[in-house]
Amino acid sequence: MSNHSHDAQHPLNAIEHAEGNVVLEGIKAIAQGFATVLKHHPREAVTLEYPEVMPELSDRFHGRLSLLSKSDDTDLCIGCQACARVCPCDDLIQIDMHRDDDKKPVVTRFTIDMGRCIFCGNCTEVCPVDCIKMLSDFELADYSREALVLDKKDLTLSGQESDEWRAKRGYTPTVL
Amino acid sequence: MMSVKELNPELQSNLPGVSIEAGFDTNDLVVNIGPQHPSTHGVLRLVTTLNGEVVKEMEPVIGYLHRSKEKMGESRSLFQYQPTIDRVEYLSSFYDHLVFVNCIEQIADIPVPKRVEYIRVICLELNRITSHLLWFGTFLLDLGASTPFFWCFRDREEVFTIFENLTGARMMYNYFRFGGVNNDLPAGWLEEVRAFCNHFPDRLDEYEAVATKNPILMDRTKGHGIMTKEFCLKYGVTGPALRATGEALDLRKTNPYSVYNELDFDVPTHTGCDTYARYLVRVQEMRESIKIIKQCIDKIPGGDGGALAILKKEVEAKTKEAKKNPEIVVPHWDKDWDTMGKKINLLTYKPPAGEASNFVESPRGVLGCYIITDGTPKAYRIKWRGASFSNLSALPELMKGHMYSDLMAIFGSLDVIMPEVDR
Ligand code: SF4
Ligand code: SF4
Repeated sequence: MSNHSHDAQHPLNAIEHAEGNVVLEGIKAIAQGFATVLKHHPREAVTLEYPEVMPELSDRFHGRLSLLSKSDDTDLCIGCQACARVCPCDDLIQIDMHRDDDKKPVVTRFTIDMGRCIFCGNCTEVCPVDCIKMLSDFELADYSREALVLDKKDLTLSGQESDEWRAKRGYTPTVL
Repeated sequence: MMSVKELNPELQSNLPGVSIEAGFDTNDLVVNIGPQHPSTHGVLRLVTTLNGEVVKEMEPVIGYLHRSKEKMGESRSLFQYQPTIDRVEYLSSFYDHLVFVNCIEQIADIPVPKRVEYIRVICLELNRITSHLLWFGTFLLDLGASTPFFWCFRDREEVFTIFENLTGARMMYNYFRFGGVNNDLPAGWLEEVRAFCNHFPDRLDEYEAVATKNPILMDRTKGHGIMTKEFCLKYGVTGPALRATGEALDLRKTNPYSVYNELDFDVPTHTGCDTYARYLVRVQEMRESIKIIKQCIDKIPGGDGGALAILKKEVEAKTKEAKKNPEIVVPHWDKDWDTMGKKINLLTYKPPAGEASNFVESPRGVLGCYIITDGTPKAYRIKWRGASFSNLSALPELMKGHMYSDLMAIFGSLDVIMPEVDR
């Protein structure tokens, strides 16, 4: 190191001339770093072996959308279009409904294009009868875009499943 | 051919021992960095003119991520627009929501209960930690240290689980509402946050043990990318980059919003002005955030969500009964414990005509929103002010005369995120 000791401008000398012994400090810092890394060795792994081990999801998880039914398996949805109107993705939810002879609403078509859904949960918030809700299902991949357009049959849960959902998430439905 | 020195007499390398006055002739080389480059943190293209290895000129080309966020707001009702705000700046989307709902609260004069303010501050500060953690990991990764990157993701994951338990989503929360929040805290949530706050400072110590004193990091950051206070103010650079010049501009302290004036915290500053100073300020900010969250947990009116939800149900039931039978005593319910300041039908909500602007201190600097409403459910005009845009605009001048290899260290220290630049 003495070869360039006369040249104070040389970068290697700048290190030597700095306060304290920078080289020693550096070695110390690197050794400390290595020690910290080694400390991690006996710790338990935090990663999960998905899909063998599934993550534990919260009760509020924003997953696949579904339509809950009444306990007796009849439709809960009244076709009010509220969910379609607050959806940020415009025509993502499409609903056809008419009223039968007793003026009761009958929903004939209900499709959701899951491929374009951004899982924001807006629709679940405005539904007046707590019908459209989110499940914890997140494995939605499919082979085509068309397969991701779910119709009423795919979306509707049976009365029993709906009751289980409501019990799990502590929901008291407004209308039943 | 002229020598480099004659071509551009001002061009001076500011590195010790590196001289560009070499006695040979060179041609400038134009290099395209990005738009797909792992270190540009998104799709940024930097058209760089190099003189040898020294940057002579640099021009950022932006707009690859432009999604017309401002125009989208004009064609959607406010509530319909809200989920898309998360995507303005996806690393700290609670902040985007906060400025947005604050503007509407100002226009429509909606009261915000104390409990909501505290919930919001806890979310915001946790979000600052996740944002800084991602910066910490990628900044060191750009400098060649790959271990801390995984540690940061481990700890971010923990906070994301906390967020998921609260909002149902890990990054796109859509949680704040006009005058409140979407959902009250779930039972035991505050304890989860407290547990995180208790062990996170130790984790930070570990991060610092591998990085802060590391000679390679110090060599690559100390004295590089010097931004003086005047330079920052000229370009509108805010956030940790400005505080690393010794200017303690932090809107949480200087223009307190929400409940920040009730909380005790410091604004970390540094006078180094260089990349290293910006690094130190951000790490210190994470510690301050922990301090703020701990105070919020102790101070939050109503406490944990579980007991409060039971009490709320009881109050609602008893109030109904009390209408019929005046002898029934309704348990005490404080207005501060509400999660909504005013009942709003989100489907048909129309704010009155008016305008408001709001600025908050996001992890990257001053984030602002300006809204004009005209009495319809839609906004007439929405304007976003993102800190990343201003911070990025300072890069070309900052890089002049620096080595090409310093680019990623200096650019990384500005903590620019492209969706916020392009919007
Ligand atoms: S979750 Fe959001 S994007 Fe998806 S259908 Fe509901 S409102 Fe539309
Ligand atoms: S808001 Fe509810 S009831 Fe109305 S159409 Fe949608 S799912 Fe049916």
